Parts: sequence; structure tokens; C-alpha cells
Amino acid sequence: MEDIKIVKGQVGEELFLLGNAAIVRGALESGINVYTYYPGTPSSEVGEIFTKIFKNVGINWVESSINEKVALEVAGAAYARGAKAMVGMKNVGLNVASDPFFALATTRPKNENSAIVVLVADDPQQYSSAVEMDSRYYLKLLKIPALEPSNPQECLEYTKCAFEISRELKIPVIIRLVTMVAHARSNVKLGKLVPPKLDKTFDLSPEVNVASRLYFLDLKQDQIYNRMNRALVKSENSSLNWIENENATNIFSLGIITSGVSYNYVIEALDFLDLKAPILKLGFINPLPEKKIVAFLKQFKQVFVVEENDAYIETEVLAIAHKNRVQTKILGKDPFSYSKEGSLLNFVGELNPTKVAFALIKITDLTPKINLKQNKEKKYETVRRRPVLCAGCPYATIGYALKKAIKKLKSDSGKEIYFYQDIGCYTLLSFAPYSFANVKYCMGSSIALAQGVARTDDSLNIAIIGDGTFFHSGIPALLNGIYNKTPILVMILDNGWIGMTGQQPHPGSDTHHYQDGNFKKKINLEKFLLGTGANISVIKRQERIKGNYPDRLRDLIYEKSYDVLEKRDLHIIVIEDECIQKFNQRNTLEVRYIDERLCNNCGLCYNQFNCPALNEKNDKAYINLNDCLGCGICEEICPNNAIYGGDNNEF
Amino acid sequence: MKKYVQTMQYMEEIITNSNNYTIVITGLGGQGLIRFLQIIGNSLIQKGYKVISSEKHGLSQRGGKVTCFLRFGEKITAPVPIIGSADMIIAAEKACIFDVLEFTKRDRSSKLIIADYEKESQNNDYPSEEYFIKVLNENSDHINFVPVMPIVAQYKNLKIINTIILGYILRFLPLSEEEIKKSINRYFKKDLIVLNQKALEEGIKLK
Repeated sequence: MEDIKIVKGQVGEELFLLGNAAIVRGALESGINVYTYYPGTPSSEVGEIFTKIFKNVGINWVESSINEKVALEVAGAAYARGAKAMVGMKNVGLNVASDPFFALATTRPKNENSAIVVLVADDPQQYSSAVEMDSRYYLKLLKIPALEPSNPQECLEYTKCAFEISRELKIPVIIRLVTMVAHARSNVKLGKLVPPKLDKTFDLSPEVNVASRLYFLDLKQDQIYNRMNRALVKSENSSLNWIENENATNIFSLGIITSGVSYNYVIEALDFLDLKAPILKLGFINPLPEKKIVAFLKQFKQVFVVEENDAYIETEVLAIAHKNRVQTKILGKDPFSYSKEGSLLNFVGELNPTKVAFALIKITDLTPKINLKQNKEKKYETVRRRPVLCAGCPYATIGYALKKAIKKLKSDSGKEIYFYQDIGCYTLLSFAPYSFANVKYCMGSSIALAQGVARTDDSLNIAIIGDGTFFHSGIPALLNGIYNKTPILVMILDNGWIGMTGQQPHPGSDTHHYQDGNFKKKINLEKFLLGTGANISVIKRQERIKGNYPDRLRDLIYEKSYDVLEKRDLHIIVIEDECIQKFNQRNTLEVRYIDERLCNNCGLCYNQFNCPALNEKNDKAYINLNDCLGCGICEEICPNNAIYGGDNNEF
Repeated sequence: MKKYVQTMQYMEEIITNSNNYTIVITGLGGQGLIRFLQIIGNSLIQKGYKVISSEKHGLSQRGGKVTCFLRFGEKITAPVPIIGSADMIIAAEKACIFDVLEFTKRDRSSKLIIADYEKESQNNDYPSEEYFIKVLNENSDHINFVPVMPIVAQYKNLKIINTIILGYILRFLPLSEEEIKKSINRYFKKDLIVLNQKALEEGIKLK
């Protein structure tokens, strides 16, 4: 519904749009030709919306690429050829895409229409990431311009600015978002759509597109001293860097510099304290407007730099102040001290207006009209709800079978067993009651991590990786292990989709049920792996003989683990069992009921299988029919045949 | 109609005094809180308000807790309010209210809207009724329990809780039934529109 509005909305119309949706509209108002992405919270919605609308709006190409590096390369070459391209990823995705990005940043296409915008969405507080990472220091490494919006309306406008700057200067421009901007919804006033155009004639001159010593040192000179220099002039004169409350005064001679989401928090905190202070709001976060900053600093005795995570702007402001002999005291995170005491705001975690208000109280010694401390100390005994796998999730069965296999393996072999986890829903198997994680880093790292320990120890080392992550970046590590005959067990949990971020497709997904499925070719994972010559076993849930799937899975893991220990070679187990959320979009499964006459409350189902729909109630096992999705595994494992399937008569 | 005019006056007062009206909404992943935000937000925008909403959720789709904010007034404000500043706090699952009480105003004027839906906890740590009442009374003089479960049982659908609450809180918002219904038509799939309009009416009828 909203997706149609993003395309059909009229000029001047105001919609209630997500920051990410406003980015899409901004790109459509810039005449975008190509959008490529790899899903990752909080950036995924941009790609999802583009995927839904792209056939209707005449964009040349939209794809969910195999990983961020490939996404950037596909879009990068389209840019070289004369397209307006955009690439989307989350912060850690930028690490994956960073290698080609350095070449892209320096190239200078000759085509008039060429423009490229890279959308990077950070996740402060790592709500859905393995690490907390501030992507802004990449701007200094890559030496490219960047814009940071603070609300959905700015998302739309800054996207248009970014395309325009990139087209004019022939340099990639980053749009940097954080969760509270990407996932905020607000009034967004629409502008005019610009139909995409792509010239028939184009120029792919090697001297501006080929990264080699022959051309690149000259291009790099041009990048820094010409294109970035022109970007600086733009930044100095840009209406994106503006001063709010320019004439406000306060007895502390205090000014504030901020950007992005933090700007909103500053306004809120000042309001709360009835404090008036001029604010320099930076929308153009690289290159920073040196002259504007100096002029601003000179008006005050002290300036407070408010930003989330790293002290990126503060460090720059400190350097600019020193260079220009400005005596103004600069307050913030005191980035050179690595000390919490000197820091008014924390490097770690998400910022909010309350934290900014407390910092301002510390600076000014003001007494607020309301005592926030009492609210802050409100802690109540609450219901703890840890994240759980969905009811019916294939990974719950794998966790159950693996736990049983491991117990037997440990006692039979006497070996220690270690687990290496990856990024996906199965990461939840890292925690109680499974605890299958000894080392875990980032996307695609599990298989290599297992090799590191297997080469220094005679323990059994098991890598657990999902299919989406395997395609994303697990393949090189697997080939490394196969080639070196490293004795590890690799479990590829093939649920058919990139489950965690909303079941987006990857090259192994069977998309023929879906809208654009006929345009894709599914890669057969089994045949692909057979081609490597590795030892491989495949077990498929959907083809199971009635009953005993968890036990067959347990036995397979046990047997192949022994093989790894005895034959000292790598073995792969592929477990094919589709994501229940996706499976249930096409099928209706029978929910399961407890036959209370047969249930003797042995607890096997609710204690060991750990399905969120299973519990104990009145000394019997109990299935919550609002949660049960009908996978039927509990029926298979019940030793008393006390579980049966039927239609859902509950609400 | 008279009541509606009163609501509008009350709302104008609040918005003039503090620039905006802040609602905190809490519940569990999968309850449809985001749709709830979309429907209210869209209706308010049609009415000329500036609205901003945001969501905080880790792995909410896996049964975790979700906290959302919806703020409206004459200008766009921060997506997250300062603590101690909520005009209204809604809990779509009863015990979730405990997580957001830091947003209640010190003068005890925040309206607490609590559905009687209780989702059992796997740790058997669901708070007792006495504790619940005691804590709520510590925080507000305006506690509103919304009996959604009888309506849920009647329509045999757990997903309408938010729409019932929406109907209930309409008495406090500067929006009419028709305006909300327009947004319901816009944001729900065709086969769910009638059900949700009925749920909305049930919520409006509640005392």
C-alpha cells in the first residue's frame, strides 16, 4: 500500500513515510537507474520497496546482491557507464564493500548523467548487529562527500542533494543514516518524480575507470585537490549546514554543534531546560565547513559537540580550532583521553534526549524544573523475554538434535567439542538452552574460525552457518578448509532465505513461487558443493519419512562428527528445511494438540525441544495455539504419542 | 459531537503548553504496533498535524519486547522523548508497561492505557495483580484498563487488540471515527478491513 503511494504520490502531497521510504522517493525524484543492496537492519526496507516497485517505474535494474561488495561493484560499473546508481547496506556491510570502494571513490566517469549514492545505515546500540560500529571514519579514508539527514523529510531532500553533488563532481556520495532516522516515520512532502534516462552513447575511457598505477595517482590528485576541494566549497555554502536560533544568547556563552539524529535530541533537551543556545547543525558531514565552524566557534566561550557513538565531528572541530587559533573550549567526549570522567557523552550506545539533558546540566549546573533522576531510577521487576526462535523454526529441531548428538559424542570420544557461530537466526542457538557458540565474529566467519582451532588442537570443531550467510561470504572459507583437508564439521543450515532480515532471497532461494521468481536461476547448493569434491551429506526435512526426523538428524551429526575425528578431513552436512514463516505463506499446516489422556508430563517436549508454543500447564504439556505454526516436530519426538494434528479452532 | 469539541480543546491546550503530544506504545513483537503507528500517524497528518514516530526493537519478531513513540503537534520533534514527558502510555500486553514507566510525568498526569492481555512468560516471573496495581498507582492518577480479551474471544482473533485500543483512545485524540476508519481502509489488507472496523467500534463503545 505505502509502496504504491511512494510512486503515485503527487507533488506537494504529504505522506506519513518511513525514513527509508523517503530515501526511495528521493532517489525516484533524482532519476535513479539502478539500485543494488544487501539486506541488513536498519537499511533493508529501501531494497524491499525498490524490489516491489521497480517494474512499474521504469528503473533499469534492482537487485538484492549476493553481498555488499558485489552490490557496490554492480552499481559502480553502472555509474561508470552513465547510470544514476545507488547501493544500500548497513554499517558492517560497508566493511565488506570497502575494497572496491577505494577504486570507485577515485574513478571519474566521463558521462554527464553518471552519479552514485551509497546508503549506509548504522545501528547504534547494536539492536540487530554483531558489533556497534560508527561508519563515519570511512569518509576520511575514502575521501568522499557525505550527507547525514536527521528526519524522514531530510532523507528525501538529502538523497536528491547527494545525487546532484555526485553527478556534478563525479564522486560517490554517502548518505549516512542511523536506526532512529531510517526507522522513524514522519510527514514527508513529496517533490517531482524524474524519469530515469540513460544515454545510448557513453564513454568508458580506461584512464578514468581502470584502477592501476598507470592512471590512478593522477586521478587521486584530482579526487583530493579538485573534486573534494569543490565539495568543500559546496559544504561551506550549503544550506545543509545551518545555524538554528542564531540570535539566542545564554549566560554560559554556550553554543552547540551537532548533526543527524542528535540534532533532534539537542532541541528536546534545550527545550526541557528552558535554555536558549545557537546550534550549528551539520548536514554535510564530509568535508566539514571549516570557515563556518571557525566563525561559529568564535562567538562563544564554550561549544558542546553532540554526536552519537564516535567523536568524529568533535575531533575535527578540535583540529580546526587549533589550526585557526580559536580559544573556545570544546566540550564533548574528550576523545584523546580514553577516560569516562572527562567525557560528557558516552562513545558506546545509542544517544537520547535524556542523556543530552544530563550533559547540559553538567555543563551549566542548571536545576531542571523536573527531577529526571527520580524517573531514571525507576526500575521495576519486569517480565524477562529473551528472543526466541519462532515456533516451528527448523533451527529449533537442529538445536535439539545437535544437543543430543553432542552429549553422546562427548562421552563416546572423550574429546572436547567447540562451536563457531555465524550471523542469522541460528545465532540464537548461541544462547541458553543450547549454548552452541565458542567463537563468533561476523558474516561468513564461522568456517574459518573452526579451522583456526582445528589446526592447533585435536578437539572436534563445528561451524554452524546459514545458507544466506554461506553465499554471502562463507564460500572462500569453505574452499580453504576443503583444500587444506582441515578436520572440521561444517553444518550448512539451509532454510532457503535470508530469514533474519525478513526472508529476502539469495542465489540459493527457490523464488519461482514469487512475483519476479521467473527471472532468477536458483543455484543448487548440493550440486555446487559436490563440485568441490568435499565429503558431503544432505538431509531434507520436506522429504522425510513419517516420524523420526530429529533422531535421523541426531544420528547423522554423530556419525559424521566421528568421521571428522577419525579420518581427519572436512565434512559438510547440509540440512534443508524451509523457514517456517516463508513456508506458511504458501501452505496451511495443522496445529498440534495435546491428548491429555496420553500425556504423562515427561517434559521432553517443553524442556528439551524449546519451542515457544510449548509450555507446562496443570501438570500436562500445553500448546499455545496462538503461537503454534504446525511444524509437527513435537508430535515426532513425543515418546507417548500424546500429540496430534488438527485444524486450529482457537482464536 | 460535543465531546469531540471538548477533546479538541484539551488537545490544543496540551500542544500549546508543551509543543507536542507524546504517546509511548509498548507491546510484543508480532502484535502489529507498527501498523498502529501508521494508522494514527496517517490520520493525524491528514488533519494537518506534524507527526513523528519511531520504534525500538531488537529481535522483536522473535517475541521480544517493542517500544514505539508517536509524537504530534505543530512542528516535528525528536523521534524519542525525554523521560518523564509522556502524555499517554499504552501497553498492548499488560506486563510491558513496567518497561516504560520512566516516561511517566512527575505530576502523575500521564494517562496509562493498559490492555488486559497477558502473555505467559517462560521464566514464570509474571507479576502479581497486587504488585501491578501498586506500581501503577505510584506512577499515575489516570489508569485506564481496557478489557480487550472478551472482544478478542468474541471475534476469535488475537491480532485485533491494537485496533480495540485504538477505538478506546479515540476519546482522547483529536480524531474522529471516520478519520481513523479511512486510515484502516488504507493500511489493512482487504479481508481484514471489516474485522478491524468492528474492533474499532467495540473499542469506542467501551466505558
